[in-house]
Amino acid sequence: MSSILLVDDHAVLRAGLRLLLESQPDMVVVGEAEDARTAITQATTLQPDLILLDLSLTNSSGLAAIQSLRAAAPQARILVLTMHDDEGYVRQALAAGAHGYVLKRAADAELIAAIRAVLRGELYIHPALTRRLLEDILPQPQPTNPWESLSEREREVLVLVARGYTAAEIASQLNLSPKTVETYRTRGMEKLGLRSRAALVQFALDHNLLAPT
Amino acid sequence: MNTVHGQHWLRRWAAVIWQVIGAVNIRAKILGIVLGLVVLIGVAATIEVRLLLEQTLTNQAYEHSVAVARDMAARATDLTLMRDYYGLFRLLRDTQANNPDLRYAFVIDSEGTIIAHTFGTGFPVGLRDANTVTANEHHRSVLLTTDEGDIWDIAVPIFDGRAGIARVGLSLATREQTVAAVTGQLLITTIMAAAVGITAAALLTWILTRPILQLVELTKAVASGDFSRRAQRWANDEIGKLTDAFNAMSEALAQAERERAEREQMRAQYVTQIITAQEEERKRIARELHDSTSQALTSLLIGLRSLADRHHSPELRRQVDDLRGIVGQVLHDLHALARQLRPSVLDDLGLAAAIQRYVADCRARSGLTIDLAMPDLTDERLDPALETALYRIVQEALTNVIRHAHATTASVVIERRNGHLRAIIEDNGCGFDPASLSGDGHLGLNGIRERAALLNGQLIIESAPGSGTTLYVEFPLPATNEERHEQHSVGR
Ligand SMILES: Nc1ncnc2c1ncn2[C@@H]1O[C@H](COP(=O)(O)OP(=O)(O)O)[C@@H](O)[C@H]1O
Ligand SMILES: [Mg+2]
Repeated sequence: MSSILLVDDHAVLRAGLRLLLESQPDMVVVGEAEDARTAITQATTLQPDLILLDLSLTNSSGLAAIQSLRAAAPQARILVLTMHDDEGYVRQALAAGAHGYVLKRAADAELIAAIRAVLRGELYIHPALTRRLLEDILPQPQPTNPWESLSEREREVLVLVARGYTAAEIASQLNLSPKTVETYRTRGMEKLGLRSRAALVQFALDHNLLAPT
Repeated sequence: MNTVHGQHWLRRWAAVIWQVIGAVNIRAKILGIVLGLVVLIGVAATIEVRLLLEQTLTNQAYEHSVAVARDMAARATDLTLMRDYYGLFRLLRDTQANNPDLRYAFVIDSEGTIIAHTFGTGFPVGLRDANTVTANEHHRSVLLTTDEGDIWDIAVPIFDGRAGIARVGLSLATREQTVAAVTGQLLITTIMAAAVGITAAALLTWILTRPILQLVELTKAVASGDFSRRAQRWANDEIGKLTDAFNAMSEALAQAERERAEREQMRAQYVTQIITAQEEERKRIARELHDSTSQALTSLLIGLRSLADRHHSPELRRQVDDLRGIVGQVLHDLHALARQLRPSVLDDLGLAAAIQRYVADCRARSGLTIDLAMPDLTDERLDPALETALYRIVQEALTNVIRHAHATTASVVIERRNGHLRAIIEDNGCGFDPASLSGDGHLGLNGIRERAALLNGQLIIESAPGSGTTLYVEFPLPATNEERHEQHSVGR
C-alpha cells in the first residue's frame, strides 16, 4: 500500500483526485494540503511514499516548495501535476528534485501510470515534453569549418551582422554601400550554409568569433 | 551687332564685380567705401590744388619778372646812353640781389652787343637770340626750359628801343618748391584723413556687425533646439528692432516647446498606464482561466475517469471516454488562450523561456522555419516592463512575418551590446517600403515603436520590396555593477 499526500490549491480537484486514487487497490491518500506551508508540515508528520504536487499553490509557487518537501520527507517521491507545459518548468522542477512531471490535461489517462512508475523509482515525464527536453541535450551535427574559405570582407561583414549591427551601420563602418554589405553577407552565409541571422549568431558563438576585439 | 556684344560684356563684368563685392563681408565693404572715398577726394583735391597753385604762381612770377625787367630797363636808360658800363653792371647786380628768383640779367645795346651781364666769365651761347623785342612793344616773354628748370625770359626795350634791350631771366624753381610742399602737405592730410576714416569705419562696422553676428549665433542655437538664449539689445535702431523680434520669436518657440514636451509627457504617461492596465488585465484573466476554470475542468476529467473505472457497462464507458476527450480538448484550448493572453512563463521563468515557448508555438502553428539565438540572456531577470515589452514586440513582429512576409525562414536574435539590449527579428520574405507606413490603421509596427520609445528604446526597420525585412529594437539597460565601477574609475 502506497501512501500519497495531495498538494493542490483547488479543493474540487483534490476531491476528484482522492476519488480516483482511492479506487486503486494499492493506493491510499493520507493527507491533503492547499499551500506550501501546510504541505511541508504534513510531509514531515506523515512521511508519505509520494507527494502529488501542483506548481501553482495558494500564495506561493510549488517550484519553490520542492526542495523543502524533499528535506521534510527525504524518502518521498515527488510527482508534479500541473497545467504548465513549458519545458522551462520541467527543467526547474527536475533540477529542484522532482521525480516526475504530469500535465493536468492528461491526468485522466496518465496519472495512475505515472504514479506507479515514480513509485518504482523511475523518472516519469509527459512524453511530449520529453522530446523537447532531449532536443536541447542531443549534440547537433557539426559541419566542417568553412570560415577560413571566406574572404576578408565577408568575414568582417558576417562578424558585424552576428554582433547585431544594422546593414546601414555596417555600411558606414566599413565604408561600403548597404547593397554591397548585403551581397557580402548573402555570399558568406551561403558559403557557411547558414539560413538565418540567428543561425549565424549561433555559428559565431560556437566558433568563438564574437570575442571583443 | 556691336552693341549687343557690348551689353553682353557689360553684363558679364557686372556679374564678376558683384561676385567679388558680394563675397566680402560687411566690414570689408564699409572699409572699402570709406577708404575709396577718402583717397578719391584727397587725390582729386591734390591735383586740383596743384594745378591752380601752379597757374597762379606762374602768373605771379611772370608779372613780377615783367615788373622787374621794366624797372631795370627804365633805370638803365641813362647809363646806357652815357655808356657807363660800370654803373650798368652795378644796377644789374643790385637788381639780382633784390630778387632772389632772378637767374640772370643783361643789357644789349642798339647794335646788338651785350654791354653788361651777370654771368661773370662766360655768357651762355644762344641766350642772346632766344628772345627779342621790337621798339614799339611793351615787352616780350619766352619760357625757356634749361637744365636749371623753367625760366621766364623777359625782354624790354630801353628808351623805346633806341638805347637797346634789357633782358632778365626769372627762375620758376621757387614755384616748383612751393607746389611740391603744398602737394606733400595735402597728401599727408589725405593719409591722415584716411586713417581717421578707417578707424571710424572699423568702429562703425563693429557696432553694426556685432549684434548681427550675435543674432547669427543665436539663430544657430535655435536651429539646434536651444530656445533658452536671448540676444542683447545694443541700440534703438533697426537692428535693435530685429533683436526684439528675434527674442520674441525665441520666447514663443520656447513656450511652444515647453507645451509640446508637457503634452508628450502626459501622452507617454497615459500610454504607459494603458499598456500596464492592459497587461494587468490580461494577466488576471489568464490566471483566472488557468487557476479556476482549468482546475474545475481537470476535476471533471478525473471524475469522469473514476466514473468509468467503477462502471463496467461498455456503452457507458464509451460515452464517458467521449466526454473525457471533449473536456481534454477544452482544457487544451483554454490553456492556449491563457498563454496567448499572457504567458505565465514570462512572469515565472523570464523572457528567454517565454520567447522560446512562443517561437516554438509559432513554428508549430505556421510551419515557418524560425531560428532563435539569445546568447546573452541568462536566467537573470530583467526589468519586468522591459521583459513584457520585448515579448510583445517579438510577438507582433513574428505575427507580421506570418501574416505579410510569405517568408520561408525567420529568425529572432536577442543580444546585449554596449549596455544595450537589441532584439532583431528578420525574415527572408517579400519585404515592404518602411517609408510608406502611415500612422493610420497599422497598429503593429507603430505599437512596437511606441512601446520601445516608452522605455527609451528605438525601432529601426530595414526592408525593401523583394528583399526581406529586419526589425531592430534597441533598449538601454541599466548599468551593471561592473560597468558602473569601470565608469567610476574612468571618471577618476
Ligand atoms: N515582415 C514583414 N514583411 C512584409 N511586410 C511587412 C512585414 N511587417 C510589416 N509589413 C507591412 O507593413 C504593414 C504594417 O504592419 P503593421 O503595422 O503590423 O500593421 P498590420 O499588420 O495590422 O497591417 C503591413 O500591412 C505590411 O504591409
Ligand atoms: Mg501587424
